[in-house]
Amino acid sequence: MSVKQVELIASPKEPHFVGDGFRVHNFIPSGFRLDMQRMTPFIMLDYASKHYFEPSPQPKGVGVHPHRGFETVTIAYKGKVAHHDSGGGGGVISEGDVQWMTAASGVLHKEYHEENFSKTGGDFQMVQLWVNLPSKDKMSTPKYQALRNASINRYTLENNGGEIEVIAGKYNNIIGAASTFTPIHLYNAKLKSGAIASFSFPAHYNTALLVIEGSITVNNKEKVPTDHFVLMGNDGEDFNIQAIENAIVLILSGEPINEPIAAHGPFVMNTRQELMEAFDDFNKGKFGYLED
Amino acid sequence: MNSFNLVSYLSSNIDIDENQIKVLVENCKSKTVVKGNYLLQEGEKCKHTFFVEQGLLRQYSIDSKGKEHILQFASEGWFVSDRESVYFNQAANYYIQALETSKVLFLDEQFILELSKTSSKFVEFNNRLLHNHIRNLQKRINLLLSATAEERYLDFISVYPDVLMRVPQSMVASYLGIAPESLSRVRKDMAKKHFTSSS
Repeated sequence: MSVKQVELIASPKEPHFVGDGFRVHNFIPSGFRLDMQRMTPFIMLDYASKHYFEPSPQPKGVGVHPHRGFETVTIAYKGKVAHHDSGGGGGVISEGDVQWMTAASGVLHKEYHEENFSKTGGDFQMVQLWVNLPSKDKMSTPKYQALRNASINRYTLENNGGEIEVIAGKYNNIIGAASTFTPIHLYNAKLKSGAIASFSFPAHYNTALLVIEGSITVNNKEKVPTDHFVLMGNDGEDFNIQAIENAIVLILSGEPINEPIAAHGPFVMNTRQELMEAFDDFNKGKFGYLED
Repeated sequence: MNSFNLVSYLSSNIDIDENQIKVLVENCKSKTVVKGNYLLQEGEKCKHTFFVEQGLLRQYSIDSKGKEHILQFASEGWFVSDRESVYFNQAANYYIQALETSKVLFLDEQFILELSKTSSKFVEFNNRLLHNHIRNLQKRINLLLSATAEERYLDFISVYPDVLMRVPQSMVASYLGIAPESLSRVRKDMAKKHFTSSS
């Protein structure tokens, strides 16, 4: 077994707003080494670092928009988001929850700060990740997996070192709550100061870390502060992280989907023709209708 | 959104050395226009045809009651200008505004003249573009005079496949010359016809 080394540590870029409710730093796809093909199956990662929102009578957020060809995964650390879709679905994603939405053949949805959260204001911190679907599943039926925090299985680290929440995939003997179309491991590692956690993924899996809280060292070498993103190399399998102070780290690792990517706005397909069809289907109401 | 390069667009459509166009394009001003800012306002003299490399612009007028009327959207690969102002030396009747932060090339008359001198193929191509533009304007006038809201909407989505999701509905309604409620109704009716809910 060989060591998976750090390939790149990315600091958060200037934030921008998605709608008026999501103040995000984009990590994927962003230029050198963090493009969609390098990071596949993770094709987009927006990180809303902790930000205080003033009370607002009108919930802030993103209005009606479509998706096709991939899954959106929303991981809530602070604050609450309410969402609605054209299939009549909806719900609230609260602190610690994960929403895994398979947009697949297409949904229209909107996402806003939950009404009460909006009224009282507060800290907001979330990750939105887009997971690509293989060509054969891009036009499958849309679905949701609403994973309440209590339903996410945990691996308890030795010596009261904290826990690993297994959102998808497997960590030691603990199986993740979400089902996925291709092999993916997604964890929240919640480590107490000084605790060490070890991980092992196949070398060719694309693997990354995002430090949500606190700071860590990777492989006893590289120090990574809060809000920084670490791309791990494809050179080995094993690595470990150690919390310099109490830390929360999002860990992503997935088998690459080696297919062409044709992406434009909210559609991620394999060919340009499929993209044109997506626009046409959206314009003609095949994604349904949803009031703004 | 994907960007659109004028040099490669022209050199792929006319038989001319890419470097020759490059020199001419490099003489033109290129600017990033922040969302909400104007390239032209009513009453000014319009000196350029604007070519959108990236982003989205709209050309519109404001009537005596203060209501906006959108004449044209211009996304990647589109030209937009107030021709009466540029070619007939009048004060502009229109506003041209960035709806997204956009990368825009400012083409002046000199650019067209130089390119015409360099290549007769360009003259042919430019004529073709002009005829196409006039054809689309004729179609648009006819639709505004005679077509139902749904017919106008279907034409809009064939001309601008990606604009619906980039602008507020009220702007699409303004372009179509219908009330926003009528646009909602058309889109709801189409969704009823085409959408099979999975839930």
